[in-house]
Amino acid sequence: MDREQLIKYIQDKFPGKVTLLDCGRVEPFFKVELGFLKEFCQAIRDDTTLGMDYLCNIAGVDSGEHYEVVYSVASVKNKIRFDFKIFPERENPAIDSVIDVWPGANWYEREVWELYGINITGHPSLKRFLLPDDWNQGHPMRKNWDAPDFVRMPEN
Amino acid sequence: MGIIKKLPVFLEKVPGGGIVTTSLDYIFSQSQASSLWYLLFGTACCAIELMATGASRYDFDRLGMIFRASPRQSDLIIAAGTITKKMAPRLRLLYDQMAEPRYVIAMGGCTVKGGPFYYDSYAVEKGIDHIVPVDVYIPGCPPRPESLLEGCLTLQKKVKRLKMQDWS
Repeated sequence: MDREQLIKYIQDKFPGKVTLLDCGRVEPFFKVELGFLKEFCQAIRDDTTLGMDYLCNIAGVDSGEHYEVVYSVASVKNKIRFDFKIFPERENPAIDSVIDVWPGANWYEREVWELYGINITGHPSLKRFLLPDDWNQGHPMRKNWDAPDFVRMPEN
Repeated sequence: MGIIKKLPVFLEKVPGGGIVTTSLDYIFSQSQASSLWYLLFGTACCAIELMATGASRYDFDRLGMIFRASPRQSDLIIAAGTITKKMAPRLRLLYDQMAEPRYVIAMGGCTVKGGPFYYDSYAVEKGIDHIVPVDVYIPGCPPRPESLLEGCLTLQKKVKRLKMQDWS
């Protein structure tokens, strides 16, 4: 299945819920509606044509205006890979956990929660992960984060 | 250590005792400076240069420096590489476990002042002198083995100047 066929297949399968983002990459990049995430993940994993059995990565993004969570998925069997992202709300950001679909999402979601403060609904153990155990300074990858010894790069 | 430190106080009352004290000072300081065994403590890319310096081309061994895998047997920590905030308590623990007299070389920009992680980093300690006292700073990213050898020679000069009374 080549790129055009894959885009068409996914857009026909989830009409109105999934839009293609223009990002200039080889693999297609989709935007998924916020509440539709878990259903979407379950569907692309169980679909025989797609069969996305491998979650490569989950990454958080803070663009300054909105949060994003980017998922990279691949199918080992069908040799497909693509990415999709969702946009949590700015105030009290929260997304659904996809551990039920891909158990490997556990640590990625903990990392996103810890560094960006995006709450993962349904995650079994959201506790301190990468930062020091006695960390009490919030979520450091947020754009507006600050700390006493944090030095921001000068503008020029 | 207590006896050694009080030894000059007793000896100087004896006629000719000053010669004994200075000779002992010379022997002790020369032996210490010629056998600075360092702890294997490489946390980032500087450790590659440290290994290169320890290998045959630059040959730390001619300064009498051999790596030890245990802080109990080392005299020196060459802090080679970025010290993150999570690593900092471990560095302090290793330093505390070493027997005195003990020395620290801060190798590379990261250990001197945070290096390339000075700006925009929440995770890196900006200089290990917040954690342990540093004897010699070696800037560079990473420093070449020649710089490291120069730093070790500087430390040897410092150690050779020490007298028994200065021992902590």
